[in-house]
Amino acid sequence: MTELPLPTQGKMATPRPISPRQRLYRRLRPYIYLFPAVACFVIWIYEPLLQAFWLSFQQWNLLPTSPKTWVGLDNYSNIFELPKFWQALRNTFWYLVGLLPLAVLLPLAIAIFTQDLPPRSRNLYRALIFVPMIIPPVVAAAVWRWLLDPNSGIINLGFQWLGFEPIGFLSDPAIALWTITFITGWKLIGFATLILSAANASIDGSLIEASRLDGATRWEIIRDIRLPLLSPTILLLVLMVALLGAQWSFAYIHVLTEGGPLGSTTNIYYLLWQFGFGSLSVGWSSASAVILFVGFGLLAMALFALKARFTFYDD
Amino acid sequence: MTIDASFPPGAVPRKRRQTAAKWETGIGHALMIFVSLLCVFPIYWMIVTSLRSESEIFSTSLWPNAADLENYRYALSAVPMVRMLVNTFIISIAVTVLQILTGILAGYAFSRWKFRGSAFIYGAVALTWLVPLQVVMIPNYLLVARLGMIDTLGALILPHFASAFAILLLVQAMRSFPTEVIEAARMDGAGHAEILWQVVVPNLRGTIASLAILVFISTWNEYFWPLLLSRSPENSVVQIGLQMFITAEGTQWGPLMAASTMASLPILLIYLLLQRQVIASFMKSGLR
Repeated sequence: MTELPLPTQGKMATPRPISPRQRLYRRLRPYIYLFPAVACFVIWIYEPLLQAFWLSFQQWNLLPTSPKTWVGLDNYSNIFELPKFWQALRNTFWYLVGLLPLAVLLPLAIAIFTQDLPPRSRNLYRALIFVPMIIPPVVAAAVWRWLLDPNSGIINLGFQWLGFEPIGFLSDPAIALWTITFITGWKLIGFATLILSAANASIDGSLIEASRLDGATRWEIIRDIRLPLLSPTILLLVLMVALLGAQWSFAYIHVLTEGGPLGSTTNIYYLLWQFGFGSLSVGWSSASAVILFVGFGLLAMALFALKARFTFYDD
Repeated sequence: MTIDASFPPGAVPRKRRQTAAKWETGIGHALMIFVSLLCVFPIYWMIVTSLRSESEIFSTSLWPNAADLENYRYALSAVPMVRMLVNTFIISIAVTVLQILTGILAGYAFSRWKFRGSAFIYGAVALTWLVPLQVVMIPNYLLVARLGMIDTLGALILPHFASAFAILLLVQAMRSFPTEVIEAARMDGAGHAEILWQVVVPNLRGTIASLAILVFISTWNEYFWPLLLSRSPENSVVQIGLQMFITAEGTQWGPLMAASTMASLPILLIYLLLQRQVIASFMKSGLR
C-alpha cells in the first residue's frame, strides 16, 4: 500500500520544479518560525544560566567598575560552611511540607466531600474559592499583613476579645514561617480543589455504583476506587508544590518579613536574593543559584520517576 | 449499627439512605461555606477598610459606615498611582500579544513540520520552567544594564517575549487541529502563512482567548521582574507602588488598602465578567 504512488494527494499533485532558493527557504522555514521564541529563551534563560555558572567561580560586587577575581570553588565551600545556608535549606523543606496539607489534602477532602452538591451552589462555591488564586501576590501580602497586624488586625482583635494574648504572626520566629506558608497555601486552595474536583467528576460512575451494589461502604469506595484513580492528579499537585511552592512564597517573604525574624522565614530563593541584591556578593549568589538549580533538577527527576512509577490509570 | 448486618448488602432502607445523604450534603455545604469565607473575606475586608475614614479605620464592624473615598484620593496623590496603573496595563497588553504571537509561530512549526532538531528544541523549550527566575536574575540584570534599559518599561517586557507555557499549549491545540481542513486549504493553493493566519488561528480563537486571559493576569500580578529592574515610581508597576505605603515608621492601612483595591480591580473585573473562562484557562495551565 505504502509503496504505491498516490498521485491525487495534495503535495504530489503538482510536482512543479522549485528553485534552489525556494528549497533553501523550505528547509529553513521551521527555524524562522521558531526563531523569536528560541532567541528569547537563549537570551534570557539559557545564556544567563551558563553565565551564573561562570560567575559562581568569581568574586565580584556587581559594580561594573570593580574587577572580577577568580576564586575557584571558594564560594561553594564558603556557602556550605554558612549556618544561614543550612537554615534556608531547612526552611525551604518546611515550606514544602507545610504547603501539602493546604494545597493537597484539604482540597482533596473538599473535592470528595462536595461531589454531590447541586451544580448551582457548587458553581458559586467554585467562583468564590478561586478568588485568591487570581489576586496579585503583593495584594494578598498587604491584605494579610492588615488582617494579622498585632495591634489592630481583626484576627488579633478577635483573639483578644476571646481573652487570648495577641499573636505576633509575622514577628515571632517560631510562627512566621507557618504564617507565610499559610498565605502561600491560601492562594492555592481554590485551584487545587478545582483540579481535584474535575478529576473526581471524571471517574466512571458505573464503577462506583457497581461497588456500592457489592456492599462497599462510602469509605471503602473512597479508599479503593477514588483515591487510586485520583492518584495521578494528586501526584501532579504534589509535584507542583514540591517544585514551585518555595518560589511562590517569594513575594510574601519580601513584603511581609524580608526573611526575618532571625532568618526564620528565609528560604533558599530568598537567600539568593539577599546575597545578590542585599549584600551585592555576586559570587555567592551565583554559587547558591547553581547549587539550587542542580538540587532542583535532581528533585524534579526523582519526582517524575516516582510519578511514572506509581500512578495508576483508569484505562 | 449492628442492625445493618441483618440487611443484605445494598438493601439499606431508602429513607435511611436519604437522610444520610441529606446529612452529607449538609456537611458539604458547611465545609464549603467555611472555605469560601476563608477565601473571600480577606478581599472583602480590603475593600471595606479602603472605604473607611481615618478615624474609624480600626473599627471592627463588618460594614463600612459610609463610603469615604479619602483613602483613594490620598493614594492617588501620594504615589504616581495612575501612571503605574497605565504602565502595568501597557506591559500586560504587550506581553500578552508578544507571547501569543511567538507562541503561534512556534506552535505551528512544531505541529506542522518535521525538521532536524525539532525534538531537541521542543525539549529545551519545555525545560525552561525548570530554571527558577532567582537563578538567572543576576545575569539578566547585567544584560538589562548593558542594554541601558534599567528603569524602563521595555526591560519589563523583553524577558517575557516568549513563554514555554504559551508554546506548549498552542502546540497541543494545533496538533489536535483536524489535518483535513489544512489539506483542503492547501489544495486551494494556500501557502503556510495563509493557512496559519486564515485557517488555524481563527479556529483556535477559544484557546487563544483563554491563553490571553491567563498571560494578562499573570503579567499584571508579576512582582519579581519589576522589583529587580525598575527604579523610579514613574517607570514602575502598580505592584511595586503598593509597597510604598508600608514604611519603617508604620503602615498607612487606609491608603494601602485603597491602593491594593485599585491594583486588583482590573483582575477582579475580568474575573466578574469572564469567570468561567478564567477558571477554565487556569485549569488548563497547571499554574505558570
